[in-house]
Parts: sequence; C-alpha cells; structure tokens
Amino acid sequence: MRHQNKTETNHGDGDGVITLKNVIKKFGSKVVLDNVSLTVEKGKTTVIIGPSGCGKTVLIKHLILLLRPTSGEVYFKGDRIDNLRERRLSEVRTLYGFLFQGGALFDSLSVFENIIFPLRQHHRINDWKQVEDLVKSKLAMVGLDGYQNYYPANLSGGQRKRVALARAIALNPEVILYDEPTTGLDPIRADIINELILKLQRELNVTSVVVTHDMTSAYKVADRIVMLHNGKIIADGDAEYIRNHPNPIVQHFIKGQVDDDDLAVLRMSGTISQAQFLPRDFEQ
Amino acid sequence: MIIGTVGARTVGGVNNMGRFARFSWQSMIASFRSCLNPDTYPLIWTQMNIIGVRSVPVVMITGAFVGMTLAVQAYDQLAGMGLEEHLGVLINISVVKELGPVLAAVMLAGRIGGALTAELGTMNVTEQIDAIRSMGTDPIRYLAAPRVLACLLLTPFLIIYADLMGIVGGYFVSVVQLDINSRAYWSFSASGVELWDVSIGVVKGLFFGVAIAVISCYKGFTCKEGAHGVGQACTEAFVASFISILALDFALAVIFKSIYNTFWPLKSLV
Repeated sequence: MRHQNKTETNHGDGDGVITLKNVIKKFGSKVVLDNVSLTVEKGKTTVIIGPSGCGKTVLIKHLILLLRPTSGEVYFKGDRIDNLRERRLSEVRTLYGFLFQGGALFDSLSVFENIIFPLRQHHRINDWKQVEDLVKSKLAMVGLDGYQNYYPANLSGGQRKRVALARAIALNPEVILYDEPTTGLDPIRADIINELILKLQRELNVTSVVVTHDMTSAYKVADRIVMLHNGKIIADGDAEYIRNHPNPIVQHFIKGQVDDDDLAVLRMSGTISQAQFLPRDFEQ
Repeated sequence: MIIGTVGARTVGGVNNMGRFARFSWQSMIASFRSCLNPDTYPLIWTQMNIIGVRSVPVVMITGAFVGMTLAVQAYDQLAGMGLEEHLGVLINISVVKELGPVLAAVMLAGRIGGALTAELGTMNVTEQIDAIRSMGTDPIRYLAAPRVLACLLLTPFLIIYADLMGIVGGYFVSVVQLDINSRAYWSFSASGVELWDVSIGVVKGLFFGVAIAVISCYKGFTCKEGAHGVGQACTEAFVASFISILALDFALAVIFKSIYNTFWPLKSLV
C-alpha cells in the first residue's frame, strides 16, 4: 500500500499525471469501485492487475472519463476533470491514447483511414503527403508499414491490436491506456505487444497504464503494479514488492492458483462423471 | 414486494425517458451544428445515399401497392352508389394525406431503423463508440447527427415518391382494370385534392424521419452486450419507431386540422 498513502495527499501535482481520489462507482446497487485512490506517475508504466470482473476495465475507463464516478474526484495534471462537460473533456482526451481490448477499429474504414481518424477530427488536413508519411511512421513503429490499404477484417487479432496502437499514438498522446493488450493473443504475439509497450514508453516517453491479468506481461512492462480485488486496491508496489506480498489473495492471483475456498466448492459439487450428459444419453 | 417492483420499474422508465430526451436534444443540437460545418457534409452525403437513395425502390413499391389496393377495395362501395368516377378523390386523398406518409415511414423504420440500430449497436458492443469518445470526438456529432439529418431531409422526398407511385397505382387499377373514365378520374381528383393535403403528408415526413433516426440511434447507442442485445435493440427500435409514427400521425392530424379550420375562412379573402 506504499503508493496509496501518497495518493491521498496528491491531487495531481508533483509526478502524478492522473489522480483518482476516493472514487466510488456503482452500477445500480452493485459497487464496482469502492473508494479507490490512485496516482499515475509521469513517464512510468503502471500495471493494474486483478481477477476478471474485479473492476479493472471500469477503473481504466475512469482515468479517461469514459465512465464518470458515482462519487469521488479525477484529476489530470492537477486539474479536476470529472466535473467537466463532455465538450471540454473532449479536448483533454486528445492528450490520451487508448488501446481497447478488441482494438475497436472501425470496420468500414481501412487501416490508413483508421489511423488518420483522430487527425481528421482535430486538424484540417491540407498536406496529404505529410499525413501519408505520418501514417507510415506510426505503422512502422508497430511493425505494420505496408498495411495501409487493408481493412480490419483482413487482419489477425495481433495485427488489429497493433493497428489500434498506431491509431492510439496518432496524436502523440502524453498518456497511453492499454485495456488487456495481450488477451486473446498467443505468447509470441503477446510478447510483441509487450515489446511495443516498452518501445513506446522508451521512445515517446509517455505515461502508460496497462490493465491485464497476464502476469508475464505485467512483470515485463511494469514500473509499478497495482492489484485490484472486489473494487479495492489491495496491493501497490514494484514487481518485487508484489512477488513477495504477504496477502494470500495476491499470492494466489500472481501464481495462478485457485484458493482453498474455491477448491472446496469445486470438490463439493460432485464428480465430472456425475455431471456429464453426453448426446447419446438423450438419443437413447 | 409488488410495490417495490412497480416503483423500481417506474423509476427505471422515467430514467430511460430522461436519457432519451437528453439524447434527442443533443442529437438535434449536433445536427444543427453539422449543418453549419462543411467538414461534416461528406458524412451526411454518405448517409443520404445509404438511407435515402437505397430506400427509393422499397418506398415506391409500398406506395404503388397502397394505391392499387385502395382502388380494388373502394370500387365496389362507390360503384354501388354510382359514384365510381369519384374513386380518384378517395384514393389520392388517402394516399397523399395518410397512407402514403405513414406506410412509407413504417417501411423506412423497418429498413433504415433496423440497419441503423444494428450498425450502431455493434459499434457500441465492440467499443467503437467508446473509441470515438476516447479520441476526443463526440460520437453523437460524428454518428447520430449525419443519420438524423439524412432522415430529416430525405423522408419527405421518399414520401413524395410513395405518393406518386400510389397515385399511379390507383390510376392503373381504376382506369385500366376497372375501366373508369380517365378524364373524369383526374377531374374529380383535381377538385378534391388540394395542395394543403399534399403538404401535410410531406411535412409529416420531417417528423417521421427525425423520430425514426433519433429512436434508432438511441437504441444503438444504449444497446446491451452480445448478439441478443443487438437483436433486442433492433426489435425495440422498430416497435418504438412504429408507435411513434402512429402517435405523431395522430397528433399532427389534430394540429393540421385545427390550423386548416382556423385559416380556411381566410382563404376566400386571399
């Protein structure tokens, strides 16, 4: 909980680029984020880990205010942004890049058109040669130069994520948010994405926030790891700190082990042969 | 327990109405701003092609069958009274004032509304709408406004096509098949159908077009996850559009009747 103490007194000043202060998010009566305070430090890669359904994606969407908190405050570079109107917030969002879990590329647009989308929205394009060079350089950064005329449907899952990453960096953002960047990819493709995250941080000196439950990826890219469980931060520190964390929930998660309670429930619920109904059982 | 359920549903319904009203308002503002911004014209043009141009055949077929069916159904009633030459008035006034606009709008709600909801709903569940917002663009301005404007501008024209085909269909059955005198058919039609009647149908199209577009976009934007969510949103969009068309038709009929009755005495002065 090292960083949490710091967060409570930090309102986005100092090294903090984004600060969440006592954020609570409810969907109906379900509390998804329970009084979360977090400061994302400038130029560092913060990785948020946690089991599926613990609120990681909801948390990362609060950093860019795609979701607004039920209560609590969000600061960007010291300015409170959770109370801004959508129009003003749009200007702030141009300083972010967001890599969505499935890429979220626009199906009807080519790779080239996807990448220039944010440029066209915020700049009047007069020099198309310059734009072509820019797209080429962004695609080269993710190793996909030459794919300008492809459509998302013609790309593999890993390629889609890399194109989405090229689009996310099109406006040279100060912060890049990655939502499950390696989910659904084979280990080699996942490592390519990890290397890209490191490369972008190194070359563009951006602040990165990565949401994942892939511990290989987390250890590789993280300057700091924050673990979320049932909407609360239960561990916060560097990779070494997390590896040696005394909390059994953290240990079970990072080692990928089911805990004793869940195991007991599984053992109580009968054997596989008792529960198995094959099609032939119905045919008889 | 029952009171709690009723209360929760009421609160949910009111919340939903509030969200829809807010979305509608934002869509109208965004549409107005888009009219003033030439950069958005290509988006509007694309939607006009998808929504308007490609709907012409189905709307024309709808109109033609409306006119033809009216002729077949009404002939026996009028012929019994020896008034078959008045068939044109009945067909044409029904087509231009009520059936043409309403059935063309219902056809559009099915064709366009379903497509808009499915497209935007899929974009919503695959986080493409969030992606637009994350890049600092207002998705209502980028996605909803061009569709609302395309529907607003083109539904009246599509209704004119439906009216024309309804008139032609009615004429074909009445004159060619039922052997009514062509000159008498047109003469009675011209005396019975005023420019006012045609205008009502076209003006209704503006309201129907906006209702179809806003409802379909809203259902797409608020679509729940999964194939079931998209399917449900499409069904809800069509049902809501259909009911809105009928409700608007009734409300506009009452309003236009009042206007007509108020200004009718002045016509002789003009």
